[in-house]
Amino acid sequence: MSARRIVLTSGKGGVGKTTTTANLGAALAKRGHRVVLVDADIGLRNLDLVLGVEKRIVFDLVEVVEGRCQLRQALIKDKRLENLSILPAAQTRDKTAVSEAQFAGVVEQLGALCEYVLIDCPAGIEHGFRNAVAGASEAIVVTTPEVSAIRDADRVIGKLHERGLPLRLIVNRLRPEMVRSGDMLSVDDVTDILSAELLGIVPDDEEIIDTTNRGEPIVLQPESRLAVVYDKIARRLEGELVEFTSFSAPGFFARIFGKAS
Amino acid sequence: MREMIEHEAPAASAVPRQRGRAIVVTSGKGGVGKTTTTANLGAALGAGGASVVLVDADVGLRNLDIVLGLEARVRHHVLDVLEGKTALDDALVSDKRVATMKLLAAAQTREKDEVDTAAFRDLIGSLRERFDYVLIDCPAGIEKGFANAIAGADEAIIVCTPEVSAVRDADRVVGLLGDERRVKLIINRLRPGLVRKGKMLSVDDVNGILRLPLLGVIADAPDVIVSTNRGEPVALDPASPVGESYRQIAQRIAGTLTTAPEIPRERTFFEKLFGSLK
Repeated sequence: MSARRIVLTSGKGGVGKTTTTANLGAALAKRGHRVVLVDADIGLRNLDLVLGVEKRIVFDLVEVVEGRCQLRQALIKDKRLENLSILPAAQTRDKTAVSEAQFAGVVEQLGALCEYVLIDCPAGIEHGFRNAVAGASEAIVVTTPEVSAIRDADRVIGKLHERGLPLRLIVNRLRPEMVRSGDMLSVDDVTDILSAELLGIVPDDEEIIDTTNRGEPIVLQPESRLAVVYDKIARRLEGELVEFTSFSAPGFFARIFGKAS
Repeated sequence: MREMIEHEAPAASAVPRQRGRAIVVTSGKGGVGKTTTTANLGAALGAGGASVVLVDADVGLRNLDIVLGLEARVRHHVLDVLEGKTALDDALVSDKRVATMKLLAAAQTREKDEVDTAAFRDLIGSLRERFDYVLIDCPAGIEKGFANAIAGADEAIIVCTPEVSAVRDADRVVGLLGDERRVKLIINRLRPGLVRKGKMLSVDDVNGILRLPLLGVIADAPDVIVSTNRGEPVALDPASPVGESYRQIAQRIAGTLTTAPEIPRERTFFEKLFGSLK
């Protein structure tokens, strides 16, 4: 039984790849799956920070590839979710320290240890991108409803098609009130332009800034609305048909009292 | 100013003109606002009378043309110039609003590995002969695209958001920029309300780690998303507080403003109420 190997990519940086990887991984682990998260951003790693494991890193991906340690030694187990592990990237090395074939080899090995390997791709479409997609069997494209993010996503989708990777889309940081006022593209606009299948819609929520800074995935707070959102995405990944939440904007009074409170 | 430079151009080799400043706008982490910052600082410097060229170094994932609303006018790009397929003048796109501002677009269907770093450095050098400011919009990451973007610059602006991951990436980039470049900081997308509640890093938190000269602090505001989508730099909107922040940063770069940057404050109850009713 080989695991599903999913790369999370976007082209544009800062749209939420790392946050999505951490939270989707945590949501899958909470649902009982064994999950390994791989940080492919060699030189600019951040997945460890978002999961709060930065002080526990001993070995990294490059050391695994160079045979300086065993794969299992480099994996860091999450303290909150025993099914969740992370393979950190090296911070002081270049992306060219690992070849596509070597990266794919590591992902393949990880596939024998778990059910889901989620690969956090770096921004851009250079060597780091090629490594991150090399070992993947499917892709999640994360984008925000902004013209520049969509243009970059379109370019990346072209590159994923060239490699024959099936892909689905997560529209991140949607602000329903801005969509309603015509100041932001809607989810339908985005899926139309990219003609890609939708996997999830994540509304913009300032809570995520704080939880990310503190290294605590928001899915660990069951009362948060984003925990529900990521859980639904995890269920869709499993193959369940889950209805999409309509993030219709709050009405006039809700808006005033929401802002004033 | 512009006419004067064009007029002088043929004699440039005999008597080199005072060189303009080449400033790379970089961050390490993506999505922190490099392109938006480049567009707005260019617009503000240009509106102040300086001649400015904005260079998109994000070959393959260009966006500066969109943010300036010039995407339909781009005919040639950096690689066309470097490969001698077009003259530099033909590749420069004039801005619609700021007469003294030009854009040199990146190639969209090519790869960063195709750009020769030394040739890119020379190109920035020749732009410095002709413009007061050469602003280079660096791609995210620290791969070949980064190496190209910083090659011709002797100054750098680090754009950083008040987030732990952005600060870590920025710190790494400062190290890679080396001591030979003057590096200054813009803190972008600050939310004063979150800082007060202890849910966002403060300006002091960020710069306690980076310890760079601070050019300015930009508040998080939805009108930036709107202006970016519409291709109209907010720096040209006299009524926009964020636009005013960009104009002040431009003045600090030019050396005409020497006061310390203001830290955006939280809006009062009534400002919030009336702001939301607009």
